[in-house]
Amino acid sequence: MGEILQRRIKRHPILEFEEKETITFYFEGKPLKARSSDTIASALIANGIDIFGWTENGRPRGFFCAIGKCSSCLVVVDGVPNVRACITKVKDGMSVERQIGRGAVWEEKR
Amino acid sequence: MKTELLVVGGGPAGLSGAIAAAKSGVKVLLIDEGLDLGGQLVKQTHKFFGHQGFFASKRGVEIAKILKNRIEDLKVDYMLQTTLVGFYEDAAVAYSREENKTYEIDYDYVLLATGASEKFLVFKNNMLPGVYGAGAVQTLMNQYGVLPGEDFLIIGAGNIGLIVAYQIAQAGGNVRAIVEISNRAGGYEVHANKIKRMGIPILLRHTIVKAIGKDRVKGAVIAKVDDNFKVIKGTEREIVADTICLSVGLQPSIELANQLGVEIVYIPELGGHVPKRDENMRTSKRNVFVAGDLSGIEEATSAMAEGYIAGYTIAQDITRRDLSEKINKYKEELVDLRRGPFGKKIRSGLEKMGIHLPSGGYRTDLQEDFGPSGKLRAIMECHQNIPCNPCEAVCPTNAIDMGGNINGIPHINYDKCVGCMMCVMKCPGLAIFMVQEFDEYSIVGIPYEFEPLPNVGDRVILMSRDGEDVGEGVIQRVIKNRKDKTHVVYVAMEKGLEKVVRHFRVPSFEEDKIVCRCEEVTKKDIEKAIAIGFTDFEELRRYLRIGMGPCGGRTCRLITMGILAKKTGKSIEEISSMNLRPPSIPLPIDSILRGEEK
Ligand SMILES: Cc1cc2nc3c(=O)[nH]c(=O)nc-3n(C[C@H](O)[C@H](O)[C@H](O)COP(=O)(O)OP(=O)(O)OC[C@H]3O[C@@H](n4cnc5c(N)ncnc54)[C@H](O)[C@@H]3O)c2cc1C
Ligand code: FES
Repeated sequence: MGEILQRRIKRHPILEFEEKETITFYFEGKPLKARSSDTIASALIANGIDIFGWTENGRPRGFFCAIGKCSSCLVVVDGVPNVRACITKVKDGMSVERQIGRGAVWEEKR
Repeated sequence: MKTELLVVGGGPAGLSGAIAAAKSGVKVLLIDEGLDLGGQLVKQTHKFFGHQGFFASKRGVEIAKILKNRIEDLKVDYMLQTTLVGFYEDAAVAYSREENKTYEIDYDYVLLATGASEKFLVFKNNMLPGVYGAGAVQTLMNQYGVLPGEDFLIIGAGNIGLIVAYQIAQAGGNVRAIVEISNRAGGYEVHANKIKRMGIPILLRHTIVKAIGKDRVKGAVIAKVDDNFKVIKGTEREIVADTICLSVGLQPSIELANQLGVEIVYIPELGGHVPKRDENMRTSKRNVFVAGDLSGIEEATSAMAEGYIAGYTIAQDITRRDLSEKINKYKEELVDLRRGPFGKKIRSGLEKMGIHLPSGGYRTDLQEDFGPSGKLRAIMECHQNIPCNPCEAVCPTNAIDMGGNINGIPHINYDKCVGCMMCVMKCPGLAIFMVQEFDEYSIVGIPYEFEPLPNVGDRVILMSRDGEDVGEGVIQRVIKNRKDKTHVVYVAMEKGLEKVVRHFRVPSFEEDKIVCRCEEVTKKDIEKAIAIGFTDFEELRRYLRIGMGPCGGRTCRLITMGILAKKTGKSIEEISSMNLRPPSIPLPIDSILRGEEK
């Protein structure tokens, strides 16, 4: 949990960020907190999760461009694969799972 | 849905195009797949170069807001979180993620302003989570307030690499180094100087060889390169970092342009494949226009100018009103923006499309006179011909001039300078300092954009332009700039140092950070020991007794090796050839004796 605090920027000389983490979403079944302004990607990273999925060959995958261009951040959202985590807002109650390759859910983990 | 003009992309180019067309009475629909309007601007916390007409000295995030407000005032229809997925026959199809629904759009004209994407780089383990685009890290930290790591390594010292490095430091991250394969930082000198004076090394003629780590990045191997950019064997070394930011260039997002069947040409100076277009941003198809990074990788200011030109030209076609005056005004802006040394690439790229732009015609000589000693005055360290003039515009006594063209080197008339420091606060490059010499000491006023601000009376460590510690100083005055957020901090120092000091750091706890809890060894102790020649882990261990306490080095070993690697430049692999002696935890002697008995 300590990591979560570390990764949220607390003081910034130029910007002000919303403080509250009011949303609960589920990552691989585990409840996690997020801000209403978060995308799935920013919420995962803030929670210390860097691995968003695996390639078909078992290589870990994370985000890369964060603006919806590279499709490196694909996750399974409420059962639907190929959702770009970086440009999709996280929502209360949302279930997010790691994706393998082109659309399977990482079964072995569960 | 039906519209006269469909704009794809709500960055500075698309927004400006939409504004120009809507102002001229055209019905516009703008589509963007992001969460908010502004494109890349929404993550840019630095102040922009340029002149007032293009919001110079405002931060990118503020410019995004201004443009968005104009769009709303003009009642332009726009859809967010909506991706234009394809152009078919005469309709375009957009997909809204929020509604999970597609829309068919019937349009007469289309302006493509889809921007660019970050280039990837080939090296070992480049797929590991922790290897991110520099712009991606910027998005995450400045748009969402999340820093994806603690220790960053930046690959590429162009403007994006330099800017992102600075912004990571502002957000509280450590930038280990910027690695640059060529023999100079490609970005503006003023951006590089901000990095250098913080003590962040810019390693020229270096490249990344591989990322280290199994599930995510733990470090990187970097190495020197020869004249052919080949790695020189034996120069490899490790850097401890959990995030590697790639800023090795952008490539225009041409997919939609290609679908529309416009002519695409390959011009490396413009970023690779780009749609061919004329001076009015019209492509080979009469009703298809492009603007911004898609038409050539450049900057937000030129993206706006191109957007306006495209928007007004389209409006001229549709309304049959003569808008040439407006169009020409923005063409002239572009000529000036591209006149200088940094416009050279764009100029030669556009030349290949048959668009000729003039160069030169501005002042290039540097000011040699630094003003009368003893007077509180501004010292300008802006040595490149950047099209930028907020210092000249803000100076209340007209002491600063660019020599007649915005690309000129600024000169200051010290008879007129009253020491008001307005220029220090405005300069987007943070390249202006205040200096005053007294009999016993001197003061330097430094533009400062970090948290927390120091307090008057604090002792600080003075840093030179190259980021070297050059002595101690005392904070004398802190001028808060609540509006623009570039504060001016005055530091008092030994006379003579005013010529070299351009930054400072607060010693805070850094200096008495305990590394080894058992033996109470501090980071400073270790750094001192390394400085006097203990450059090997074993030697350090014996000298400082670090890692010889009851924990067996569990808490301190890695940190010590990190410090050692940073100070000596040796690889962790090299340093790690240590001998970890048993037992790994202290054992009661009788337990050993009992064991022997069996
Ligand atoms: C780190 C960094 C620092 C920079 N610093 C400066 C600076 O100091 N000064 C300066 O002048 N410039 C700077 N720039 C450059 C400047 O940001 C860009 O040149 C400018 O944003 C380009 O504008 P644009 O409108 O062409 O593209 P963008 O701003 O990239 O906007 C493109 C938009 O199109 C949308 N889009 C793309 N494809 C689709 C689609 N199929 N459907 C729907 N929407 C789509 C995207 O979501 C995006 O919002 C910097 C850039 C970066 C990355
Ligand atoms: S990180 Fe590139 S599309 Fe999401």
